[in-house]
Amino acid sequence: MRDSRDFRDNAEPVVRRAIDELRRLPDVSDDAIAKVVSAAAVARVQPAADEPVFPARGRSWGRISAAAGLVAAAAIAGFVVRGTMTPPRSMRLAATTPIAPAAFSAERASEPIVEQFVFKAANARRVALIGDFNRWDASAKPMTRSPDGELWSVSVPMMPGRHVYAFMVDDSLLVLDPRAPKSRDPDLGAEGSVRIVGRP
Amino acid sequence: MGDRPPGGAVRRIDSPSRRILSSLPLPHPAQTAGLDAKAISRAKLGDIGAFTEIVQAYYARCLRFARAMLVEPDDAEDMVQEAFVRLYRALPRYEERQRFESWLFQILGNCCRTANTVAQRNASRLVTDDALLERIPAETRSDEDALGGWGESVRDALAEVPEHNREIFLLHYVEGFSYDEIERMTGVRQSALKMRVKRASDFLRARLSRETR
Repeated sequence: MRDSRDFRDNAEPVVRRAIDELRRLPDVSDDAIAKVVSAAAVARVQPAADEPVFPARGRSWGRISAAAGLVAAAAIAGFVVRGTMTPPRSMRLAATTPIAPAAFSAERASEPIVEQFVFKAANARRVALIGDFNRWDASAKPMTRSPDGELWSVSVPMMPGRHVYAFMVDDSLLVLDPRAPKSRDPDLGAEGSVRIVGRP
Repeated sequence: MGDRPPGGAVRRIDSPSRRILSSLPLPHPAQTAGLDAKAISRAKLGDIGAFTEIVQAYYARCLRFARAMLVEPDDAEDMVQEAFVRLYRALPRYEERQRFESWLFQILGNCCRTANTVAQRNASRLVTDDALLERIPAETRSDEDALGGWGESVRDALAEVPEHNREIFLLHYVEGFSYDEIERMTGVRQSALKMRVKRASDFLRARLSRETR
């Protein structure tokens, strides 16, 4: 909560004068506002030239050490094998393993692997998967409710590497995957769940 | 939590754009955060009109901050645009218990620091050529520069304050964030923040006292 007092009052007189000068707001044209809004609208639906929707393998893996990657992958596998929730038999295997062949060969490194995400939210009206692979767009990957109404799932082709994601519940609530490791975005400060796709 | 803005900092006013777009000579920082309380919630869902309200409410303050932070102040408009683009992309992840304004300035600060690093790296490349250095004339201050006035003196002096001190000084004294808020934004402890602000203030006092004599 903002302190009601003006912090400037604590400064020495010459510094106070400088602060007053620095507080002058620049004039802003409607065109400048329109330019920013337009750029943001385009960026939300279009990946930036230097930021592919599917991150390049080398770039993604470069962010974490190979050991950390293995640990994270093992952690995911551990969560999955233990089965912290019990999906229906028909989707149990699909929910726990990539649909792509388990063996990850070098020649397939640049090909997407279909990953399935499952989330338990019996009371939700809508759930969407959002992440760096779909520009965090809540409309891009709506999840499908299972017949028993307990689980939501979606399959997504993803490039091998490290991906950060979350679930958007009822268009307003951002929920992390309780079964996945967490990662703090160094730029935005927000936490996300981490999925390692493929293996190095 | 619903539509309640983070930290109660966002207030509903009748005409945010008219209020913000006009040039306010010496505004208290808290007076510039006028924004429809539901705008952030609507923008999270992709409402471009609501996002426009956000840009209108904060653009001038962001431009002011970027101009003071950047090694190349002419790049300020581009940097503000970059910050708003990042913000819009990340809005679905925004948790409303965070204070929106803090988040925005955190993103903008990151953009400015990255740009400064690039600018300084490019500048350092220029001075690797000793022969080139010898051909550069000594810096002289023309009469026109000397008559630039108080505003120019302040900006020149601030540009000499180290970036990590300058940023905290601006966030606290110019943008009106409390030390508590800046600690949450930067992860730096309050004692260190106060020291940075003191160092920036001491430098400005020493430099500007000479100007006013």
